[in-house]
Amino acid sequence: MTVLGDGAGSTTRAATQPAARGRSTRAWWHTNTGRRLTFGYLLLAPAALYVLLLVGIPFLFSLYLALSDASVGDQVSRFVGLGNFRAAWEMDTFRDALRNSIVFLVVAAIFKSVLGTSLAFLLLQNFKGKKLVRALVVIPFTLPITVSVLSWKWMYDSQFSVINWFLHKAGLIGGYGSESWPIWLGQPHLALLACIGVNVWRSFPFSAIVLLAGFTSVPTEVLDAARVDGCSFFQRFRHIVTPMIFPILIIGFLFDTVFTLSDLSVVYVLTQGGPGSATMILPMLAYQIGIQAGSLGRGSAIALMLVPLLFPALFLMLRNLKRRD
Amino acid sequence: MTTAAVPRTHRQKEIRRHLLLYAGMTPFLFIAVFPIYWMLITAFKQEPDLYRMGNIPFWFNLPPTLKNFETLFYQTNYGYWIVNTLTISAWVALITLVTAVPAGYALARLKLPGAENIGIAIFMTYLVPGIILFLPLSRVVASLGLQDSWWALVVVYPTFTIPFCTWLMMGFFKTVPMEMEEAARVDGCGQLSALVRVVLPVSLPGVLTSVIFAFTLSMQDFLYGLAFVAPGDQKPVPVGVPTELIRGDVFFWGSIMAAALLVGLPVAILYNFFLDKFIQGITGGVGK
Repeated sequence: MTVLGDGAGSTTRAATQPAARGRSTRAWWHTNTGRRLTFGYLLLAPAALYVLLLVGIPFLFSLYLALSDASVGDQVSRFVGLGNFRAAWEMDTFRDALRNSIVFLVVAAIFKSVLGTSLAFLLLQNFKGKKLVRALVVIPFTLPITVSVLSWKWMYDSQFSVINWFLHKAGLIGGYGSESWPIWLGQPHLALLACIGVNVWRSFPFSAIVLLAGFTSVPTEVLDAARVDGCSFFQRFRHIVTPMIFPILIIGFLFDTVFTLSDLSVVYVLTQGGPGSATMILPMLAYQIGIQAGSLGRGSAIALMLVPLLFPALFLMLRNLKRRD
Repeated sequence: MTTAAVPRTHRQKEIRRHLLLYAGMTPFLFIAVFPIYWMLITAFKQEPDLYRMGNIPFWFNLPPTLKNFETLFYQTNYGYWIVNTLTISAWVALITLVTAVPAGYALARLKLPGAENIGIAIFMTYLVPGIILFLPLSRVVASLGLQDSWWALVVVYPTFTIPFCTWLMMGFFKTVPMEMEEAARVDGCGQLSALVRVVLPVSLPGVLTSVIFAFTLSMQDFLYGLAFVAPGDQKPVPVGVPTELIRGDVFFWGSIMAAALLVGLPVAILYNFFLDKFIQGITGGVGK
């Protein structure tokens, strides 16, 4: 008979059993619990080690780099304390990048929530061809990001932009070269807006699908019961639906925040941070300084500035996952 | 007369409801699909056709052509990039499979002390953005002597596929009834053979999903490829196209769109089928 008890209790039981059966005392790892645990940790080890070695340690290493003057060229690095952070803070480009990152995050989040919520409500209805519509509407999210950014770069072309073609035919702007002809990636405010647009385009289907997953996770019986008890639509929405879908919403929101704050590809491919530093965001600056200029220490410090922005998100996520058990 | 009128008004109502819904859907569909349509048509257009703004640009004003694809394969490294992309993804999928599947099983089924916390900790690493890790990892890659080779990406991509797929597999293994394993153990199977002979075969859909994600998530990366692999013939497609084909002031948009679509569309379609699993994975891995 196998002993599949829990933890310590079964260990002692298993340890006394062989003594009763014979003289030989079996080692701990020969007991059933011991075997199970050894087997379990052996199975777990490759994944845990991989993640520890290539995420955990590099993360700590990035803290060290940020406090040193490490560069690509020379192997020896000196400890410089908070020098990199101070130097970054004094750069105008850094402040622009920080401001743009925050503007980017907030503006994009507003558009994504509005578009995502409306789409989710539409997809909640039953209609013919729903599956096809859903499959088409999520394509922006499933397409590899650089592929879609390339498409947008072509649509934002300074002279042959198809967006401008539409606007021109609709009579909203003049012809090419006229004052009102927008050069999407060449004018500071438009350029930032253009980058935000790509992020929104890519992620609003994700918001909608996450929301939809939330809505459909609410059991209809609960809603029916509440209706029988005389709750109005808004009461039901506020007291039942919202609390029930909140955890899922938080997770979706956080995923999107992490992606939006740390994504480099949109800005890199569209504008490289320009014109000037109009679309400079923290990841782009960290890349330029860390890789292109080879200043690992300074670059790490700039990348780590994302942590205070990400931290509330990660904290909420952790609490959320724990509470679920 | 009246009996016939009732179903008709019901039907009319249904039709009106559908029309309203379709009208609401149209802008979303247009926004979502137009950029892809635009790539598709650009990829098959002749060069001069792209630059005639007088014509309506949504259809071919000159006969469609395959020349853009020819240029791609004969005059750029595109052929290498495709091979690189597929090889990298296959390696990443393999590494993910042999690490994440056992780990997910151990965390879900073997009642390890602290399993839940370990699971959450591993999953949280999925959320550490590459932009924080890429500089220290560039040192790791250099010390392994892998800089400027696509092998660097084979080493680095599992840092996000392993956490995600471990979490996913944890969820899958929790749905396999415990009795199956116990029955196998009673029949004399060891722990390993119970896993290999009984649990794995019924978890095949989960394993397949992990492979698909290892593939598609690998192709979502841009940063690592950009930072670690400089030589033109070593890049994967998502990095090669924007860095090698967009240079200077003259863009060959037809070829660029062809290059992006040729790899992007299959990935998008594949991912599309598994999107619900992705959402389920990130929102309910532990709960379900």
